[in-house]
Amino acid sequence: MTDVVRVTGLRKAFDVTRRTPGIVAVENLSFRLGKADAIGVVGESGSGKSTLARMLVGLTRPDAGTIEFDGRVREWRERGRLARLRRAKEVQMVFQDPYGSLDRRLTVETALRNVLRRHQVDSSAVGTRIAELMDSVGLESRLLASRPHQLSGGQRQRVAIAKALAVEPAVLVLDEVTSALDVSVQAQILALLTDIRARTGVSLIFVSHDLAVVGKVTDSILVMYRGQAVEQGSTADVLRRPQHPYTEMLLSSAPGPGWRPERVAELRAAFAVVHDR
Amino acid sequence: MTIEAHGPVAVATTRKAAPGVFYLCLGILGLAVVAAILADWIAPYDPSATDFSALYQQPSSAHWFGTDQLGRDILSRVIHGARPSLLGAIALLTFATAVGVLIGTVAAWKRGWVDAVLARVTDVMFAFPGLLFVVLVIAVFDRGPGTAVIGMGLAFAPVIAKFTRAIALEEMARPYVDAYRLQGIGSVELCVRYVLPNLFPTLIGYLVVLFGEGLMSLAALNFLGFGAQPPSSEWGLMVQEGRGGVIQGIVGPALIPGLVIAVVVVATNVIGVRLSDKLAVKA
Ligand SMILES: Nc1ncnc2c1ncn2[C@@H]1O[C@H](COP(=O)(O)OP(=O)(O)OP(=O)(O)O)[C@@H](O)[C@H]1O
Ligand SMILES: [Mg+2]
Repeated sequence: MTDVVRVTGLRKAFDVTRRTPGIVAVENLSFRLGKADAIGVVGESGSGKSTLARMLVGLTRPDAGTIEFDGRVREWRERGRLARLRRAKEVQMVFQDPYGSLDRRLTVETALRNVLRRHQVDSSAVGTRIAELMDSVGLESRLLASRPHQLSGGQRQRVAIAKALAVEPAVLVLDEVTSALDVSVQAQILALLTDIRARTGVSLIFVSHDLAVVGKVTDSILVMYRGQAVEQGSTADVLRRPQHPYTEMLLSSAPGPGWRPERVAELRAAFAVVHDR
Repeated sequence: MTIEAHGPVAVATTRKAAPGVFYLCLGILGLAVVAAILADWIAPYDPSATDFSALYQQPSSAHWFGTDQLGRDILSRVIHGARPSLLGAIALLTFATAVGVLIGTVAAWKRGWVDAVLARVTDVMFAFPGLLFVVLVIAVFDRGPGTAVIGMGLAFAPVIAKFTRAIALEEMARPYVDAYRLQGIGSVELCVRYVLPNLFPTLIGYLVVLFGEGLMSLAALNFLGFGAQPPSSEWGLMVQEGRGGVIQGIVGPALIPGLVIAVVVVATNVIGVRLSDKLAVKA
């Protein structure tokens, strides 16, 4: 069976100026993702997660490497409406900032309707489809008439997810979608994503700095440090038997029972010695 | 994005006005608009009817604002002057906005060398005094109201272009724009149908502030004789024609249209600043 996503040797560097080469945000990164699978991408702030996510969906141009969706290699910005619509169905993304990720002028209903129309949903079916989408992200239909500023952060993120799902993409990239939300809303969104994956068969790429959160929704995990994958494996393995000291450090960073901040510092120091040479 | 007003009048009136002042200003502007539309019905006299038996009359019950050097009723002339004065400023802003918004949006959209080139062009335009554009346009098209409007419009366009570019850049950095792209929406449609409408609220407040500036600049041009020609009673031209009396100690014919200009300019500034606060985008 072919993978839904196959990423090979992806790289991106941001130059400070045209002459001075800057930091390498993503370096030689590869992974695969099967249908209805969910992979987590974790790492500290600045480790290159968002850069990876943006390259995956085609918002940032990679310096090197290939991205395949369903065996088809992605070109950078294909021209033509049909190509754009096809790409839209390959992958959609939900962003971290729930306040900026919706068009403030449009009501929830208009926003959803626009997406459905664009992707040629039969106009007689649009109403039903909107109701289904609202239901699947756990929003009451009375919110259809609301504009973004009338919604809470959690509600906005649900709308953003519904908009992404309206395209019926094969893959959904979620970049820190729960980071701006409080813990109980976070848990609701995570449950929702698991449910959606089971029902629709969409594959998830779940990006977060929080290993515990990633562990709740994924089958496998990719740990990034300074743009590189330092560990990759099944979620259970990575959480229970981290192979890499950096992963161990991420695990021990989360405050919980028996948490010791000095242990985190120790691990970080030990890790930096090995990795940064 | 907050609105920075330009020019001495604007700066003086940018401080937040009390609600009462705001409604007073709305009333003043409303009055000017009513005068512009209904001048033929509400003006007590024909604005160009001369009366040589009544030159330079003091204000009286017959002539509330007095008469000018040709015995014409100043009130009627001010009322009739509202139309060319306001229409001139509207035409000026419409032209400048069309040019400025186009340049600003394209610059913000394309970035890179397109942005750099457009930035140079607007900088050069910016550096030219408005009057110079007018002189250039007159050299090509001869004087007249249209000339003044286009010349001044060219002077205003870079200001609007810079402002539009700044707010467009801010807008395009928002993730919802990326989300639209991912839906498969092409660049032109995205820009025209989704991004520009979100800029309008901010832009409109700014344009109302600029309206006052435009009105004043046009009045100045008309005062210099570059724009409207007699027998028009455009306010700037009225000041110019009333100048003769000042030497003889008769200030009314020049002072009254001058005051009207000042009052309308201040009123639009207050309204513009308030409007941009009110329309300031929610989250
Ligand atoms: N457009 C850009 N221009 C220059 N440098 C950038 C740009 N985008 C990202 N970077 C740099 O690339 C590195 C990786 O950034 P990225 O946003 O991918 O990290 P992240 O893992 O998503 O971090 P966070 O958890 O804080 O969101 C950072 O050092 C960042 O400064
Ligand atoms: Mg990020």
